[in-house]
Amino acid sequence: MNSNIANNKIIPYEMVLKSIRSTGELVERILPNGELDALRIGSKYIGNAVRDAVEKAKEGWPIIGHHFAFQREYLYCFDCVPVCVEGTSYLLSALLPDGIERYYDLMANWGHPFHTCSSQKGVMGMTLDNLFQFDAIITPTAPCDNTYASYPFFESKNIPLILPDLPFLHEEKSYKYYAEQIKLSLERLGEIIGQKPDYERMRNHIKYENETYKVQMELLELRKATPCPVENLFNAISAGIAVFASGTQDKLKFYQEYLEIAKKRYKRKQSYGIDEKIRSIWPYMLIFFDLSLCEFLDRELGMTILFDIFNYNFSEPVDVSSDLDSLFYDMARRGMNMPMMKESTDFYYSFIENCVNMAKDYSADCYVFTSHVGCKQFGSVPQILREALREECGIPMLMIDLDVGDKRFTSMKIIKDKLSIFAKTLL
Amino acid sequence: MSLENDSFLKIADTITNTYLEKSERKIAGFYCTYIPEEILDAGGFFPYRIRATGNEDTELADTYMVRFTCSFVRSTLNLALMGEYDFLDGLFICNSCDHSRRMFEIFDLVVFKRENFTKEVPRFYISLPHIISEEGFQWFYQELKELKENIENAYNLSITEDALNISIDLYNKNRRLMRKIYDLRALDEPKINGTDALRMAMANSSVPKEVANPELERILKSITNSPGIDTTNRKRILLLGSVVDNIQFTKLVEDSGAIIISDNLCFGNRTIVDDIDEDKSVDPLARIALRLYYRLSCPRMMDDHPRRLEFIKKEIEKGKIDGVILQRINNCDLHGCDNMLFEHELKDLEIPVFNIDRESFQSDATRLQTRIEAFLEMIM
Repeated sequence: MNSNIANNKIIPYEMVLKSIRSTGELVERILPNGELDALRIGSKYIGNAVRDAVEKAKEGWPIIGHHFAFQREYLYCFDCVPVCVEGTSYLLSALLPDGIERYYDLMANWGHPFHTCSSQKGVMGMTLDNLFQFDAIITPTAPCDNTYASYPFFESKNIPLILPDLPFLHEEKSYKYYAEQIKLSLERLGEIIGQKPDYERMRNHIKYENETYKVQMELLELRKATPCPVENLFNAISAGIAVFASGTQDKLKFYQEYLEIAKKRYKRKQSYGIDEKIRSIWPYMLIFFDLSLCEFLDRELGMTILFDIFNYNFSEPVDVSSDLDSLFYDMARRGMNMPMMKESTDFYYSFIENCVNMAKDYSADCYVFTSHVGCKQFGSVPQILREALREECGIPMLMIDLDVGDKRFTSMKIIKDKLSIFAKTLL
Repeated sequence: MSLENDSFLKIADTITNTYLEKSERKIAGFYCTYIPEEILDAGGFFPYRIRATGNEDTELADTYMVRFTCSFVRSTLNLALMGEYDFLDGLFICNSCDHSRRMFEIFDLVVFKRENFTKEVPRFYISLPHIISEEGFQWFYQELKELKENIENAYNLSITEDALNISIDLYNKNRRLMRKIYDLRALDEPKINGTDALRMAMANSSVPKEVANPELERILKSITNSPGIDTTNRKRILLLGSVVDNIQFTKLVEDSGAIIISDNLCFGNRTIVDDIDEDKSVDPLARIALRLYYRLSCPRMMDDHPRRLEFIKKEIEKGKIDGVILQRINNCDLHGCDNMLFEHELKDLEIPVFNIDRESFQSDATRLQTRIEAFLEMIM
């Protein structure tokens, strides 16, 4: 295959690679040890994963777009380059100096409604601009209206769209149904790209996830400590690692290296930034368009983000030694219990209950709810959650209306002002 | 012929009505037309489609639903919080969209927990696949079986095959009558306008079908023999998109120099174009599932856009449509994106198309009217 053509299939990944390299170099060369550790380690491993993807794309491996809700490690049954639609949008939104608003605008001009989720809009715009050339795209029919609404755009651009159907409600029959859907979809994807799925290889990649799970749990436990030994930025970087390196040794190494740093801080009872004054939980997403907010909270307000939605619930390991049917059943259960999938494929009673329990278990002083314009499934949650937290834990919740990936919707100045005023009321 | 003062159509103008107030049957409220009304009817319920007609403020509901949510669902919640839906004896929800599916929890935690509201209102949920496949159909069929059992257990009743067959016949007759009336909209001189057709569809979803069917027969007979509407200076419009339960919007379109000839709306064609197979040797639940699952879809069915486009093309041809209005309630991602694709596809076919957003209640009539008039003037 002509390498120029191959290069052109995955241009945004080259943008990610350049950005992450220069970010990594800046951190390594300028900052002393102990500063921005999550970013330092994350840049290395996200960089590895992205470089690997770029090289394989150059070799002509098919480019498979996938929703973050379809686990990347399942795609390693093929020789392919998995590209996470939502993760790519938001990582570029965080890394590029001017963000990716240009691509949102391309889609807006094409008729895409302003209120849809920017996590998809970014890569849709890049596809419209011929920066991505997907060989196929796979997404479960979840977690939200944006998924059902936005993904058919790719099909209208003649990209084969594969849709493992994911039912609502966590029941045995749901796991069985979704397990069958995953298997059928992987077979269908194999037909499209002319490969047979190698499930043994997939098992090996799932093993890395199982190993990572243990480290994630250990890290989660450490966050109960006061002060919290995990820096705010870790939450964003770990989400990036999940998107770009799931099912690889890079993800495992990232967590292992960071765990050692957190353990050292824990032993020294040391917080990151200034002394911890406020312990906050962000039950929804962080703000991706400007990750410096994490540092602002750590260094200016002494507000710890104990975790966001991508860092407090991890689905249980998959039994990789079982027969194929059991393996797929476990994969389905894992898929339906991933962050955001868990909350969106069931009634929100357990979400509220978990939030209340987490506030108690992690000694939280407050909640901060980022009410993202794209996310309608969470649109009727905040007030119920606020009332539950007030009544059962006696703590307040700040709600901020915004688009987590578009700086124009609510500016960082307004966000910082709101958080600063909120912090003052707590001290 | 104007049906403005027709007694049946007036039912659409309010939430409650005489039949509802005098009903001895339990009232089964539902949001989405994917809910199998025939099962509810066979269980002795009075199926009532929840709507927000007349609501112009969402002050109460705004506390519980953020401003990025659908103003139609917020309006229904507002009415419910005001006690307008206290007549419900059961609530039936499915995962049609992110806005309405969350009403399952909100009604439970807020509406039915209001001070002085003591009635126990059972809630039911069905999970509908998002794609059309054989496996999906089997899933949905199973869901309907479970729904039937859950209703029987909750109300201590039995829903028999005979009752289901009677309900199927009743609903099929209702859909046939509605279609006959809708066919009269496609004539060169339509017998009724889009606003009256919308009121008829809303009234039809607000009374038992035993009441609706004779009324529809009466109206059909009456308009068949009446002179049609002169459309010489009016543009023939196909209306698509989000739920419309507010005649101020259709009136605004029609007062701007248009007549709405057809639609793909849930108070409209989407509910009536497909019938249930009447072969009584086949399990009635399977036949109900077949119709609902494979019927003319809305964009919550993720892989069915091409079939929706085909329907539109047929309607354009059948109704000699001059232009298509795509509308969505603000924050409706599903119709917003489906409309985006339709806009490109219809432009490729050189069909005049106009894509707008609006609120459920008519808060910006002047802006809309100006834009609609401009569109109509542009149509050659």
